[in-house]
Amino acid sequence: MDEIRSSHSRLIRASGVIAGALAGIVTVVLAGTALAHRIVQPAAQPLLEATHLPPLLTTRGETNELRYDVYCARSEAEVDTPCTADGTVFARVGDTGMFQEIAVREERGASKGRYVARLPESIAQASTGFSYYAVFRSNETGMAATLPAGGSAAPQRSLPLGRSIEVALGAHSFGREREAVARVAEAAWGAGPAEAGLEQGRNLTPIGGSAFDIEEDGTVVVLDEANKRLLRWRESGEMPEAVPLAINGTQADMSIGKDGTVYVLETAGIHGEPLLRSFNRDGAGKTASAVAERPSQVRVGPEGPVVLQSSSAQWMPAAREGRPVGVSGQISAAESGRPLPDGRNIVILRNGNEVRVALVASTGVQRAWLVTSETPLAEVQLAEPHGTGVVLVTRVFTDDRDEFVVLVLDRRGIVRRFSLDSADWAETAPLSRFRVRGSFLYQLGSTPAGLFVDRFDLEVE
Amino acid sequence: MSYVWKFLVAFVVAFSLAGAGTAGAYHTQWVAQNCNYAAPTPTSYITRDGSITVALYARNEGYQWAGGCWNDNDVDDSPGDPKSDPNTGGEGADCSGFTFKVWREALDESSTAFHQWWRLRYIHGPYTAQRFKNGDGAPNYPLSKSAAIKMDAYASATHIGMIYVTNPDGTDQIIEALGESYGTNIWTRAYRGNSSYSAVRRLGWSQS
Repeated sequence: MDEIRSSHSRLIRASGVIAGALAGIVTVVLAGTALAHRIVQPAAQPLLEATHLPPLLTTRGETNELRYDVYCARSEAEVDTPCTADGTVFARVGDTGMFQEIAVREERGASKGRYVARLPESIAQASTGFSYYAVFRSNETGMAATLPAGGSAAPQRSLPLGRSIEVALGAHSFGREREAVARVAEAAWGAGPAEAGLEQGRNLTPIGGSAFDIEEDGTVVVLDEANKRLLRWRESGEMPEAVPLAINGTQADMSIGKDGTVYVLETAGIHGEPLLRSFNRDGAGKTASAVAERPSQVRVGPEGPVVLQSSSAQWMPAAREGRPVGVSGQISAAESGRPLPDGRNIVILRNGNEVRVALVASTGVQRAWLVTSETPLAEVQLAEPHGTGVVLVTRVFTDDRDEFVVLVLDRRGIVRRFSLDSADWAETAPLSRFRVRGSFLYQLGSTPAGLFVDRFDLEVE
Repeated sequence: MSYVWKFLVAFVVAFSLAGAGTAGAYHTQWVAQNCNYAAPTPTSYITRDGSITVALYARNEGYQWAGGCWNDNDVDDSPGDPKSDPNTGGEGADCSGFTFKVWREALDESSTAFHQWWRLRYIHGPYTAQRFKNGDGAPNYPLSKSAAIKMDAYASATHIGMIYVTNPDGTDQIIEALGESYGTNIWTRAYRGNSSYSAVRRLGWSQS
């Protein structure tokens, strides 16, 4: 009887604890349920997007058509209802003067762009080329899009190639890659002091060593974005110096200025706009500034870093004299060629199995090359001035093989040509696999074991 | 200690523990709280432009390994999920689930029918990136990479993304669900020439 009485009294004493605990749990559950029921999903918004492959470099008599694709919808339910948009192209001879309005018409079923503007001969065949922009307005939603976004302030520029130097590569012979003069940097995958990280690991798309550059004295610098640091090799074979960087990574590109400033372009941040960050050589942060949407490359021009915006195919100044340029300033100062440190521009256009490259001065195209290949050409990884010509690295491919072709071109045509193993097991920023410094070409490569940087001599047959 | 004090102390402890547990599992709740399992809407045709529009509605949304459901608020609503866990129930598709939904395919692999799944319908589909690369399933077939155009895809053993537009330098802008740190968006990529990637096309576009 005493035992029963004792249990009963323990239960009474514990009842406060039990009731409190139950009340606490029930409160959390009820609050969570109420929150869940309050979530209201937004309706899919109307949209309008336009795309265009600009004819940056043209040959005589070439098409005078500008083609655009326009995507628009009032709602998710109407995605297959053909979008109707009114468009106008504003074009002019050269890069000054008044723009002429040219109506855009629709051409259903066209594979290279459904909206077409036909330029008058006087503009399309002008010896100084032409500049243009387009404005589209959705008939359904009233939304408008200007392409490129800078409109009349920063129109797209198309230049005639003039008397280009023709280079015929013929059919590519795979399996005859050049050996490197030296392997100047090497790191296994990992997080150790001399290792480079793999963002996302091995089971998802491996991304690692996303970019690299060569300092003035030949020091190799790899952006080890997964471990949020630079790895710097002064001499091959030595342990790299690790320099921590305050970055998010995400397939970032990198370029180093002559003064040692490190520019990191974070192209794919999901937590906000793409960012250009700059750091001192010791990794101390200098600036972090927004760049226009969809950037893919950063290089250093005469006035500071310039960023390639994919959606407009234009290069934009991201900073001038150390001060960041705002997004609207970037858009309104965009240009079609990449500004080179010597004041010229370099313009590239790959179309099918043909690559056009031009060095452009203020007076127009200074020298141009037209490279054709019987084997399909993919991206142009690198085009840099070299002596009186350029170094061009492009990728040849079939459905199951690929290699890089290195061309040293001058006014006579090909001075040197060799092939390189693509060595691209891990992803990098899209055009960050090559750099030129002096007479050397450097390649950032990778295998399942790790990354490396190889050096090739451009002066040797 | 009085009854009231015991009640209050127990309430606070239980509330904190239960709340912490719920917060920790917040991301696993996104699909449960936002997505549906509605039947797809059959359509008689699909266009490449229409599928680009389907894909554009997923821009700036999240990524979820093995996922397939997103809204259109231009924010990853379940950021920071573990990268290698397919069961976290967060917002977004993975690369192959995104392709399946944008290409508006059927769960029945022998069917080439067109199914509009809507963005909040949770569905991944039967194909991995490797299976798309192989051209598995009646609606999918490999083609020459140099013939690939907008809304065809490049697929490797671990990833797949669809062509949005080609750039002047020969790279492509690819619309893809890339990873937990990236979400779903359009990025410039050099997949075309990379021999790890093959080209795949969805059968039956109503325009070229």
